[in-house]
Amino acid sequence: MQIHARIIDDFKTERKDISPPLQAYLRLVPVLLYAAIAGSILLNALFIARYSQAGSARDTAVRQDSELNTELDGVKSRRQALEDETKKASDLSAWVEASRPLQSLVVEIARSMGSDASLVDLSLERDTTNPAQILLSMRLQSENPKQLDETVQTIARNRFRTFSPQQTMEKGVVDYKATLLWQSSAREQTAPAQ
Amino acid sequence: MKGEDLLSVLNFSAFRPEPDDPSATWRKRFPGQRTVLLNLGRSATAWRGVQRNGKLAEGDTAAGELKEVLAEHSFQIKELSEHGWCVVSLNTRYVISLEANLSRRVGSEDIIKSNPRSVLGARYERGKRYAVTHNPETNSSILLACDEEHVRKIESTLKEAGLQIGRICCGTYVLLTHALAQTNTTKGSDKPSSRFYVVCCQGSVCALIQDGDRWTELRSRTDVYEGMANPIMDLISPFKQRLPEGADIVLACDNPVPQLADSLGDLFADRKLIDLTQPDLLWTLLTQN
Repeated sequence: MQIHARIIDDFKTERKDISPPLQAYLRLVPVLLYAAIAGSILLNALFIARYSQAGSARDTAVRQDSELNTELDGVKSRRQALEDETKKASDLSAWVEASRPLQSLVVEIARSMGSDASLVDLSLERDTTNPAQILLSMRLQSENPKQLDETVQTIARNRFRTFSPQQTMEKGVVDYKATLLWQSSAREQTAPAQ
Repeated sequence: MKGEDLLSVLNFSAFRPEPDDPSATWRKRFPGQRTVLLNLGRSATAWRGVQRNGKLAEGDTAAGELKEVLAEHSFQIKELSEHGWCVVSLNTRYVISLEANLSRRVGSEDIIKSNPRSVLGARYERGKRYAVTHNPETNSSILLACDEEHVRKIESTLKEAGLQIGRICCGTYVLLTHALAQTNTTKGSDKPSSRFYVVCCQGSVCALIQDGDRWTELRSRTDVYEGMANPIMDLISPFKQRLPEGADIVLACDNPVPQLADSLGDLFADRKLIDLTQPDLLWTLLTQN
């Protein structure tokens, strides 16, 4: 004979609304909830940590950016200064190169002055609209009335032709203005053939 | 859905049986919770705490009726339980009898609680609460009938004292079914063995003769003894003449009774004594089942 042990009998007045326990697999619901809460807390902690790291990295990057911008501005200003200097140098070089054909003319004009004459002022300006023309402005102080003619002849010997000469004389000072045009040697050689 | 229901899911209590669910064992109902066990006799009440780990805590016994004991010791008893939940073992106002030809339909041992008339038929009495243990090999059954009015009175008394009842059972009947389950473990009727069961619990005594697979005689008395073995021996002695040949003596007491095992050994000198008694046996059974 086999008699099985049973749950102890209960004589108490039973409550009518006793509900059986929920199925064990439904424990997944609160477990998943707690796991989700724990996961969200963990992820939030990670996000906050990463956010603060990203904030500090951004600050560093902004600081580096401003430093580099400052450095770039310095480099730009130095470059601009160099460019300005280069331009000045090139302008000077161009001026020197451009004025090279006139230097001999100026020397000849100065040598053409007699002993009783002096050159008060001499100015040679290239016409910006027509670079082939040079505006001559000259002030002479001389008691010799032929001094101006000698000087004009000296200019012509240096292969410059004068156009539109203007001449004024006041108290022994002659103001002479004219437009000079350089005459090439090829044109001079072809002229006798005509 | 109420907030309480939601809370019970979140704290996992919804996945455990309710504290007063009779279909669940005590351990499953109160895991990790302190409770208290009460063993009620006519002239004395014993109590014992159950710790959170399921082990027994300290306890005490006080003489007097339940109401008097609670008036004096309710604070001490309630302190042992976290929410006042208790098990009550009744040892008065019950009758254990041997019946034959009770309904054996499936689940009759559970149905008898809700619809005793369908199981007991003409033997049903109004105002009683029943439990039954069937003999699987014969048509006999052990029937426990408990006075409903007494149960309600105990319920109201304990409620007034601030205790919540998780279970009310009969300690003698618990020990008897335990002794039967421990000794009748062979399936089928090939090797029937005869035994004489003696069960003692808080002054109550129950004696059952098992002749082979048949239960032939049962006697149950309440308030027989108060710590001494002599009244028990006086009740048992007449059975000596009627015991079947070769029957073993099975003794099961809620706590060891001084001199009882020796006296039984002397009385039934030619028979084997199987002493299932252990200190705190009833308390252990109540917490484990």
